[in-house]
Amino acid sequence: MTASPSLLAPDAPWVVLKFGGTSVATVERWHTIRRLAAARREQGMRVLVVVSAVSGVTDALKALCTCASEAREGALASLVARHRELAAQMQLDRADEMERWLASLAALIFPLSPGEGGEPAPGEGAGIRQSLVDSGPPLKPTSRRESAYSWQAAVQAHGELLSSALGAAFLTANGLATRWLDAREALLARDLPFLNERARRLSAQVQADPDPAFAAALAARGEVFITQGFIARDAAGDTVLLGRGGSDTSAAYLGALLRATRVEIWTDVAGMFTADPREVPGARLLQHLDYEEAQEIATTGAKVLHPRCLSPCRRARVPLWIKDTRFPELAGTVIGLQPAEAVPSVKAISSRRGITLVSMETSGMWQQVGFLADVFALFKQHGLSVDLIGSAETNVTVSLDPGENLLDSDVVAALATDLARVCRVKVIAPCAAVTLVGRGMRSMLHRLSGVLAEFGRERVHLISQSSNNLNLTFVIDEGILDGLAPRLHELLIRAGALRTDDAGLFGPSWQALYGAGAAGARAPWWKAERARLLELAENLHSPSGRGEKRATPRYVYHLPTIRERARALRALWSVDRVYYAVKANPHPAILAALAEEGLGFECVSPGELAAVEAVRAAHGSPRLFTPNFAPRADYEAALLDRATPVPEADGSAPGPGSRVASAEPLPTLDALHPLHHWPEVFEGREVMLRVDLDRGVGHHDKVRTGGAASKFGLPMEQLDAFLGLAREHHVRIVGLHAHLGSGVLDASHWAQVCGQLAGIADRIGSVRYLDLGGGLGVPSHPGEAELDLAALDAALGEVRRTCPQYELWLEPGRWLVADAGVLLARVTQLKRKGALHYLGCDAGMHALIRPALYDAWHPIENLSRLGAPADTLYQVVGPICESGDVLGADRHLPESREGDVLVIAQAGAYGESMASHYNLRPLAESVVIE
Amino acid sequence: MTGVPDPRRAQTFRFVRCGYADGVAELVYAFDDGPELTERVRFPDPPPLDGERRRAFDAALRLLHLVAGVSYYKAGIPAALEIENGVPDAAAAELLDALYLHGLAEFAYRNGVDLRGRIRFPRDVQSGTPAAPLLEGGEPASRTLVPIGGGKDSLVVVEALKAIGADATAVWVGASPLIAGVAARTGLPMLNLARELSPVLFEYNRAGAWNGHVPVTAINSATLTCAAVLYGFDAIAFANERSASAATLEYEGQQVNHQWSKGRDFEAVFAAYLRSHVAAGLDYFSLLRPFSELAVTRAFAKSGAAYFDSFSSCNRNFRISGPKPVDRWCGQCPKCHFVFLALAPFLPKPRLLKIFGRNLLDDETHAAGFDALIEYRDHKPFECVGEGAEARAALAARAARPEWREDALVARFREEIAPQLDGSALGLEPWLVPSGEHQVPARFSGALDAIHGA
Repeated sequence: MTASPSLLAPDAPWVVLKFGGTSVATVERWHTIRRLAAARREQGMRVLVVVSAVSGVTDALKALCTCASEAREGALASLVARHRELAAQMQLDRADEMERWLASLAALIFPLSPGEGGEPAPGEGAGIRQSLVDSGPPLKPTSRRESAYSWQAAVQAHGELLSSALGAAFLTANGLATRWLDAREALLARDLPFLNERARRLSAQVQADPDPAFAAALAARGEVFITQGFIARDAAGDTVLLGRGGSDTSAAYLGALLRATRVEIWTDVAGMFTADPREVPGARLLQHLDYEEAQEIATTGAKVLHPRCLSPCRRARVPLWIKDTRFPELAGTVIGLQPAEAVPSVKAISSRRGITLVSMETSGMWQQVGFLADVFALFKQHGLSVDLIGSAETNVTVSLDPGENLLDSDVVAALATDLARVCRVKVIAPCAAVTLVGRGMRSMLHRLSGVLAEFGRERVHLISQSSNNLNLTFVIDEGILDGLAPRLHELLIRAGALRTDDAGLFGPSWQALYGAGAAGARAPWWKAERARLLELAENLHSPSGRGEKRATPRYVYHLPTIRERARALRALWSVDRVYYAVKANPHPAILAALAEEGLGFECVSPGELAAVEAVRAAHGSPRLFTPNFAPRADYEAALLDRATPVPEADGSAPGPGSRVASAEPLPTLDALHPLHHWPEVFEGREVMLRVDLDRGVGHHDKVRTGGAASKFGLPMEQLDAFLGLAREHHVRIVGLHAHLGSGVLDASHWAQVCGQLAGIADRIGSVRYLDLGGGLGVPSHPGEAELDLAALDAALGEVRRTCPQYELWLEPGRWLVADAGVLLARVTQLKRKGALHYLGCDAGMHALIRPALYDAWHPIENLSRLGAPADTLYQVVGPICESGDVLGADRHLPESREGDVLVIAQAGAYGESMASHYNLRPLAESVVIE
Repeated sequence: MTGVPDPRRAQTFRFVRCGYADGVAELVYAFDDGPELTERVRFPDPPPLDGERRRAFDAALRLLHLVAGVSYYKAGIPAALEIENGVPDAAAAELLDALYLHGLAEFAYRNGVDLRGRIRFPRDVQSGTPAAPLLEGGEPASRTLVPIGGGKDSLVVVEALKAIGADATAVWVGASPLIAGVAARTGLPMLNLARELSPVLFEYNRAGAWNGHVPVTAINSATLTCAAVLYGFDAIAFANERSASAATLEYEGQQVNHQWSKGRDFEAVFAAYLRSHVAAGLDYFSLLRPFSELAVTRAFAKSGAAYFDSFSSCNRNFRISGPKPVDRWCGQCPKCHFVFLALAPFLPKPRLLKIFGRNLLDDETHAAGFDALIEYRDHKPFECVGEGAEARAALAARAARPEWREDALVARFREEIAPQLDGSALGLEPWLVPSGEHQVPARFSGALDAIHGA
C-alpha cells in the first residue's frame, strides 16, 4: 500500500479523473483507479475522482422508476445484491455508506406515506424496506413534495451515490485516504426559463465558472476526493440529473470549478480518431485537438465524448485528456488550446445517417422580407429542429436530424403540406451528412480536389461550410455512404489534406492498437532480404559490356510470398478455382510458380495466351480468354487456331469433371457485337458472359469496372437479346462473370455479387460457373486492415450453400503478386526548393506508373539506411520529364545521399507489366529470388 | 462435353417411381432411356406414419411426384408422358393437364414454343377413387402451416393468424438465410424442408435443355401437403392475393400468367383434389385471396413493423440477408419497384425510404421499370406484382402528396402520364375493399377481419 506522502501545499494544483460504468464494476478496475489516483497524488496534485454508476445500474434504476409496482421489490433486491456482491469482492468489511444509500433508495421506492404519481401504496415492499432502512444507519428524511420527475431524479442519482460510496471506502482501505464529496454540494443547476419541468429535472445544466473560494475550502478538507458524476442540485436543494453523457459533463464542470490542471476522461478507447474505427480500421488516433475541433467531431458523429462537456473546459481553459484504462501509458487525445504553429490539416471524417432534407423552391423569396422567418416558423410549429442550411436565390434546403418522430408519424407530410402553400417542396431522404473537420478548412480546399471528385460522381444535395472555418459538410444519398469513409480517408491522406505524416498530431491507427493484427503486422519479406537486395542493386550488370550501371532500377520478385498467397486462396472452401490475372505480372517464373500451385490463368490478349503457352508448367492449366473490345482476329487466334478439346487421358471424351479442356481457353464475351457479327467464331462453343451489375466499387475512378460509365460488361437490359443470339447460334453460356473493380477490402461485397450472379444464372440454365473476378484489396497504407479471407470464405459460403450447383471462381492478380515485388532504385540527385526536399531516383513513371496513373501509394524506404531515424520529409521523384513523375509525396525518410538504394515496395503487380520506354529510358530489369 | 443427350430430342418423359422412408421422399423421372433424375425432399424429425395417415401420405406423395415432374419435363417437353407407377384418375389428370399447360405458359412464351395439344396426362377413367381418409385432429386442435417467403405477403398472413390466436407454424422449402431470418422474427415454431433437385437436370441444362419459369407455388403446395399429413396439420394458409389471378399478357390466344399457380383457379382445383383424394379434413387456401396487393400492403404497413429491417420481396437478392437495405433490395427489379410503390401510400415517407435505403421514385433511371408496372407503353413484367391499375392508383395517390409530388418519377407521372388517364379510375379506396370471392374456411374469418381492419 502506498506510504502516506507529505502534505500538499494549500495551492497544489487539482486534477479531475473521471471513470465510467465498466471502470467501477470490478475490483480489478478499482485497483486501476487507485493506482492512477495515487500516481497523480504522488506528482503533487490534489485529486478529484468522478465516477459513474456501476454499469447497468442506471438503466436498472430507470426501469425501477417505470416498472409495475409489483415488480419493484424484485428489481430493488437485485440492485442491492449487485452492490453487496461488489463490496464483498472489494473486501470491504464495512460498507456502511453504501448501506446507507441502499436504505435511502428503498425509502424512496417504498415510502411510508402514500405518494403521488403512481408510487406504491403503503405496505408494499415493506419487507425489503424494513430490512434495509431499519438495519442501516439513521436516514435523513427524504423530501418527497416534488413531481414524479423529481422523484425519478432522486432515485436515479443513487447509482452514482452508491458507486462513489464504495469507492471512498475501497480507496481509503487500500492506503489512499479518500474523502467522499457530495457532488450536489459543488454543482448548482441553472434555472433556465426555457427549460420544461422534465429537462429541468433530468437534463439540467450547470454554470461552472472557476470558484477559487470553493477550491480553497475543499482543499482544506483533504487531498484525494471521490464524487458522483451525473448529479447536481437545484436552487431548492433538490437532486437533479445532467442527462446523457452526464458523468463526462460533471467532470468538466468540476474541472472548471476547481480550474484544474486537466480533466482526464478514462474510458475503453484511447481517444478520438480520424474516422469511426468500425468503418475505417486504419483511422488514426488524434493526439491533439483544440476545443472547437473536438466539439465539432463529437457533435458530428464520434461517440467517445459527449459534446456538452467541452464548453465548460474551454471557458475555464482546462485541458481535457481522453485516456484508455487498458493502455494508461498511451498519450490518448489531449484537447486544449490551439497550438500556435499548427499546420492546417483535416483532423477527422465523421458521418451521420438517417438525415431528411427539405428543399424549398420559390421565386418569391428573392428580396422578400420575412420569407425565411415564415418558413422556419412552420418547422417550429411542427416541432422539427433544423440543422444544416444551404440556400440559393430561389432555393433553401435544410436538413432534419433523424428521429422516431420523423419515421413513424406524419409530421413530414404535414410540414410539406403547409410549406406547399408558400413554395415548391421536395423531401429528399434518406441522406447522410459527411463532415470533414479541421481548423483552417478553407486553406485546404485546393487539396481536396480528389475528395470532391469522389463526391462528384454522386448526388450531393447540400454543402455547408461554416464561417468558423472548422468544417465542410456534404449531404449525400445514404446509400452511397457504405464504404465511402475508408475511401475518403485514404484520399485525404493521399491528397496531403489529412497529414498523417505528422507523428506529433496523429498517433497509431485503431487497427494497430486494437485490431486483429494488433499483435504486430508481419514485417515485409524484403526487410529480411536487405543484404541480398543491396547486393542486387550493387551488382554492376552490364549487358552492353561497357560497364554501364544498369543494376537499378530493377524489379525483384520473391516467389515464396507468391506461393503463400496462392495457397491461401486455394484453401478457401467456397472457391472452386482461382485464375491468375496474367496482366498483373506475366513474368515466366511467376506463371510457373502459380501453375505449380494449381492456379489457372486469365489472359486478356493473344500475347498473354502465348506467354502462358510458353511456360512448360502451365501446359495443363485451365485458361480464360477475357479480352475487351478485342478484334475478331484475337478470338479466332485464341479459338480457331487451336486443336479441338483435348480428350481425357483414357481417351474418353472430356467429362464434366474436366470442366475446361486444357488446350482451349474459355472465351468471355461482354457485348452483343461478337455474336451478332461473327457468330461463326463461337458457333457450338462454350462461352463465359461478363455482365455489368450496374455497381462499381474500388479505390480509384480508373480501376472501377462496374456501372454505365465503365466500358466493361453486358448491361442487364441486353441480357435477353444476348441469350437469344446464343440460342440461335448454339453458343452455350457456361459461366457468368462480374468484376467490380480493384482494391476492394470489404468481404461482404463478393457475396452480394455472387448472390446476384446466381439469380441471373438461374434464369439461363446452362450456367455452371460464377466468376467473381478479382479486385481483392491489398492494404498499402500503414494500419490499413488486410482483406479478411476467412470472412470472405464465410460470406461466399453462405451464398454458395443456397446454390450448390454452381462453381465459384476468382480471378485475382494484384492480391497474389503485389507484395511479392519491390522496385530497387538509386538516389540520383537531391534538391531543396522552398520548403520542399526533392529526392530524385533513377526509377520514375517509366518504371512504375501506378502513382502517376492511379495516385497509388507505395511504401518507400531507404534500404541503405534502413532503421536510421526518418527525420526528413521528401518528395520522391523520378527522372522523367513530367511534373507528375512523383513516386511518393511527403515521405519521411532518413536524410539520403546520392547512390543510396531505395526500395519501392508492393510493386509486384502492374509495375513491370505497365512499364514503358518513355523518354527512351530502358526498361527496368527483373530478378526472381526464392 | 457432357454425358447426357440433348433432352429436346427426347420422345418420352417418364414418371418412374416415388418413395418415402425415414423423412426422405424420392421422386424419380427419366427422359426415354436416359439416366434417372432423382429429386429428394427432406422432412426433418419425421414422426412415424401408420394407418390412415400412411394412406393419406401416399396419396400426397403421388401428387407431389406428378406435380414436381414439371421442373424436369420442361427440359425436353417431349410429346409423350408415361406414368409407370400407376395411372392417375381423371381428376388428377385434369389437374395436371391444367397445371403443366398454364404453369408453363410463360416458359412457352419465352421459348417460343406452343404446348397446347401437347400435354395430355394418361388417365384411368374406369376405376373409381376411394374416398380420402378423414384424419384425426382437426378442430379444436387445429394446426396451420404458413409458408414463408421472406416477403411481406406471408408476413401479413402470419400476423393475422397470430391476431386470432391460431396455432401456426412457419414453414419454408430450401436454404435461404433471408427466409430463415424472417421466419425467426415471426416468433412461430419453424419447419424447414429441404428440396434437392436432381443434379442430372443440370447436366441436361448444359446439354441444351429448355429452361425457364416453372409453377413453383404448385410444387411447394404439393410438398407442404406431404408435410401437413406427415406432421399432423389440418390447414395450409398461403398468401396469394387477388391479383395473382390476372393474366400477365395474352399471346397467340393463350393467357399467360406468371403466377398461375398462385391464382384462384389452381387453388380451387388443388383444394378440392386434396379433400377428395388426400385427406378429407385438410384445408388448402390463400388467406389473402379477397385482397388486392394494395390492401395487403396496407395491412403490412400497419402490422409488419417488426419485419421492416429484415423482410425482402426482391427476387434478385433473395440469397442474401444483411442488415443494410442494399443487401436485401436490389432496387432494380420489378418486385423492388412494386413493393416500394405499393407501400408508399401507407407509410411515412422517411420510414419507407429507410426500409429501401433509397428513393426509387426519385431516380429517373427507374422510369422504364415503373412504366412497366403501370402498363404505360409496355406490358406487365413477369413477376409476382400487382395489377397495372393498382400501381397507377398508388402512383396517383403519391402525385397528390406534397412530400412526394416533386420526386422525379412522381412529377413525370403528374405532368406526362396522368393527363392521359381517366382520373376517376385512379382512386385508392376501391382497392382496399375486400371481395367476397375466396375459399377461406369459416374458422379463419377472424383473420380476414384482422387483415382488413389492420
